[in-house]
Amino acid sequence: MTSMYEFVFLVPLVPLLGFFILFCSLGNLPKQAVALVGVGSVAIAAMLVLFIGVEFLAQTNPIPVTATFYTWMNVAGFTPGVSFRIDGLSLTMMFVITGVGLLIHIYSALFMLDDADYSRFFSYMNLFVAAMLLLVLADNLLLLFVGWEGVGLCSYLLVGFWHHDAANGAAARKAFVVTRVGDTAMALGLFLLFLHLGTLDIQALMQQAKVTWQVGDATVTIACLLLLGGAVGKSAQLPLQTWLPDAMAGPTPVSALIHAATMVTAGVYLIARTHELFLLSPIALNTVAVIGAATLLMAAFTALTQHDIKRILAYSTISQIGYMFLALGVGAWSSGIFHLMTHAFFKALLFLGAGAVIFSLHHEHDIFKMGGLRKHLPIAFWSFIIGSAALAALPLTSGFYSKDAILLTAFDSAWHGQELWAAGLLGAFLTSIYSFRLVFIVFFGEVKTQPEAPAGWLMAVPLVILCGLALGGGLLTPPLQWVFPASAPVAHAGMVPMLTLGLPIAGLLIAGLLYLWPRADLSWLTSRGLGKSLFQFWFSHWAMDWLYDRLLVTPYKTIAAWNRKDIIDRIYNGIANVTWFLHDFSTQSQTGQLRTYAVIMVVGLVLVGVIALGVIQP
Amino acid sequence: MTTGLTGTDLLALSPFITLTGVILVLMMAIAFARHLGLTCLIAALGLLVTLANILWVAIFVDPQLVTPLIIVDPYALLFSGLIVIASFFICLLAYNYHQQRGGHQEEFTLLLLLATLGGVTLAHSAHFGSFILGLELLGISLYAMISYPTQGLLSLEAALKYLILSGVSSAFILFGIAFLFATTGTLSFAEMADANINPTAVQGGVQGGVQGSVQGSESLRLYMLIGGSMILAGVGFKLSLVPFHMWTPDVYEGAPAPTTAFLATVSKGGIFAVLLRFFVSVDGYQYQTILDGLFWVALLSIFLGNLLAVMQSNIKRLLAYSSIAHLGYLMVAFLAAAEIGGRQLAIEASLVFLIAYFTTTVGAFGVVCIMSRKLAARDTDQLPDYEGLFWNRPLLAAFFAAMLLSLAGIPLTLGFIGKFYIFAVAVDSELWALLVAVIIGSAIGLFYYLRVIFTMTKRSSVTEGIAIPKAGGWSLVAVTLILIGLGVYPAPVIEWVSAIARTIS
Repeated sequence: MTSMYEFVFLVPLVPLLGFFILFCSLGNLPKQAVALVGVGSVAIAAMLVLFIGVEFLAQTNPIPVTATFYTWMNVAGFTPGVSFRIDGLSLTMMFVITGVGLLIHIYSALFMLDDADYSRFFSYMNLFVAAMLLLVLADNLLLLFVGWEGVGLCSYLLVGFWHHDAANGAAARKAFVVTRVGDTAMALGLFLLFLHLGTLDIQALMQQAKVTWQVGDATVTIACLLLLGGAVGKSAQLPLQTWLPDAMAGPTPVSALIHAATMVTAGVYLIARTHELFLLSPIALNTVAVIGAATLLMAAFTALTQHDIKRILAYSTISQIGYMFLALGVGAWSSGIFHLMTHAFFKALLFLGAGAVIFSLHHEHDIFKMGGLRKHLPIAFWSFIIGSAALAALPLTSGFYSKDAILLTAFDSAWHGQELWAAGLLGAFLTSIYSFRLVFIVFFGEVKTQPEAPAGWLMAVPLVILCGLALGGGLLTPPLQWVFPASAPVAHAGMVPMLTLGLPIAGLLIAGLLYLWPRADLSWLTSRGLGKSLFQFWFSHWAMDWLYDRLLVTPYKTIAAWNRKDIIDRIYNGIANVTWFLHDFSTQSQTGQLRTYAVIMVVGLVLVGVIALGVIQP
Repeated sequence: MTTGLTGTDLLALSPFITLTGVILVLMMAIAFARHLGLTCLIAALGLLVTLANILWVAIFVDPQLVTPLIIVDPYALLFSGLIVIASFFICLLAYNYHQQRGGHQEEFTLLLLLATLGGVTLAHSAHFGSFILGLELLGISLYAMISYPTQGLLSLEAALKYLILSGVSSAFILFGIAFLFATTGTLSFAEMADANINPTAVQGGVQGGVQGSVQGSESLRLYMLIGGSMILAGVGFKLSLVPFHMWTPDVYEGAPAPTTAFLATVSKGGIFAVLLRFFVSVDGYQYQTILDGLFWVALLSIFLGNLLAVMQSNIKRLLAYSSIAHLGYLMVAFLAAAEIGGRQLAIEASLVFLIAYFTTTVGAFGVVCIMSRKLAARDTDQLPDYEGLFWNRPLLAAFFAAMLLSLAGIPLTLGFIGKFYIFAVAVDSELWALLVAVIIGSAIGLFYYLRVIFTMTKRSSVTEGIAIPKAGGWSLVAVTLILIGLGVYPAPVIEWVSAIARTIS
């Protein structure tokens, strides 16, 4: 019987093929054909994932499979190759990437229709899907790194998609450079692991690590922290989160797919995939939790003050990934991945809904110029209601199940569990306020900009499906019980679950009070003194950009200017000059004269003979 | 002693018979009808039939020695196959090259096949008799092929240089063979291995103080070393290793582009096949001083080849220098075989490297052939002639770029696999000095290969209106597909070559 597993290599390969077709056609294909290739390739990948998932889950006790796709070569014991790992974790990720990816591709087919670079857009999107699938399927950290860099490249290309505006190019560059800092750390981590364990195959590495290192070993802590560096870069967590809000310069479907649903969760995936390593290092694990808690609070405060619809969503993404990090840090592995999945649903929904709003309002981003859109854009409205409810973790939505599980596990955590829980709870409260602030301002009140008719069914269908997933996604349990160590069932009575349940609802009421009730006016608070400073401080995302600018960018530019004639370049120029000199010197031997050649041959023979006879021993 | 050829002998020899038959048919065809297309068609088909024959022998005929002269084993068949495939592509490229030139070029194809036969003979030789036979069959055909007056005096000058210097090198080789014959009393590699003097025994003799035999074996050893170094010098000329490399750029430049392609591949591959077989079967690796000499030859070839190429503005000369460096890399693998433990891997490395070198070189000169179709005083071999090729003929430029990247050893090309093998065996046999040389050489190499690629990306109208002919074009497509296909998925070749290396190590 042929197994669907044998076709797993097609999952990343088909979107890659789509990329090649679109790339090689150089934009000469008609738009229908582009959409067919671009959407079709992801659809095929999604179908394959579905079949593989059915076969995997049909087993009573699913066995993870490693499928070797191909071995590049086998030279002197060195066998680089491509192997894929199919288990509950990679399956969940594949499902999210291809499922949400397909919906966003369908949506983009209409959203981007008027763009001159339609083909280029879909070629990058397909390349992204291929790279992301490679990332989650890779059985080897080196291969994972290839996918990791691939998605980084696509993110760069797509953030700067409208590169005619210099600001977009700058945003793309910022995203690329900031994540590069993390990637460098990650590469160092990989070197360190390879140095000590001699392999980068994930399964072998985990086994080897458990044998080699005791819990709390310094080396494993350093390795984990370096990997964490890569993860915080990609997942936009403290201290490398500054690139994500700027990355909203890309087209909205890109923000939905890459900068909300999939790529930015790669850091979470990395830590989950290497969780056995992190379990060896309590320090690293606690760092993950602290980073998560701090980031989720900082970003939530910032989201409260923003007025660009996409930036609000961007900060909420940072904040939600903070929850995932918190989950990983307290050992709630399954809940973290579960939240990753539900977040992918409702955040894609929110971004696509925002896209629909922006689409109808002629690329208006400022929420204070919107208002009363409830009647005109019913689908976008309901998308936002459902998406925000899930984001705020109101009961019965998907976000509720995942966030609730994270917070309750955090409370039980041995290491500062209650503090972490309190931070998460405050974050949940704030999340609820800023999400419904957005809903009430945009969709209620008086109409400020008259919208065009809502977009066609191609954009509506994905929204409707995502609404369903955002509501009911909590019922889909990812098959993770075989991947992660089992966690004790959490049962609490009394205040703790009540608070987790109640605070988001309180947040909703406060938002309603502030933004629906005409007499509520906060300007007295935010326009003077401390209130104003605090508001501006939050608005600038805790002055992080300012700080980094002073601390890193300006000194770097100064040093670069000062070192305009690069000192290190002199070494290379020196080498080049020596080569040139030797070249000039040696060409003089090529006289073109037969007699010279013959003499040199004979001299050569004599020299070889003399060496061979041992007369001179060089 | 066999008195005659048996049936299985004839079957084992059938590739020779087929190729010779094709040559005869071709000779007749030229005598009756002077038609370039027909000639090349017969030759190309004949080469394909020969290739099929080689494959058949490789699968169905057991390895055996046919007469003391010719050995038919997987190693020889691999080289024959490689040589025939290279000749096939060169034949198609030569057809396009000659197509638009006047005069009668049919004999060129005939000479090509004769030279191929010479190369095949070299690959199969297990005896100095067949070695010289193959060497001269190859050499004499090449003199005529080089002097084909497509570039006027330039070709003649090149042919004359090659003729005289090649004569010198043949003299070296023959003299060397005479020395070896004088010591061992045989010309067969196998018998020579039996008669070979064990140097440790000689050492022991000296200490033991048995005067007479010491004198005898000491002088025999001397003869062996002198003979060995003379043969190496002669072979070094054919392989264009420093310091016997002086002819290379001049002859590469002067010869018509298809001849250069042939000279760079078939001629060198055939000779290397004999050298490696000879060294392994008589265990030349026991002579440390010879290895010392070869060490310097390899080191200087890598450095000088790369240095000479750096600012070279003539593509054919550039490829000539690069081939000097590449043969230097090959010698690293050759030297790595000195360690018994690493011998199999080293032989495997040489074979893979040669396959990569053949593919890449045929492809690179193929582009030069296609660029040089116009009737002109010289081939299109100046660097500025290639400006703008990426914009005007993107596909041709892409092929050329692929070949250059393969020469530079960039991953996903066959050239990388070959280069990687060289690194692997240098590490395995702990040849650190040579490893450093290979690394530095590769770095310098990257510069001049990329320089050619950059030239092609310049905006220019120089390369407008270059027509890509069918035969040559499809040959390039095939070569590029092999280059990249095997670069991405080299496992089958590696397995196959590894099995062959096991048989002779």
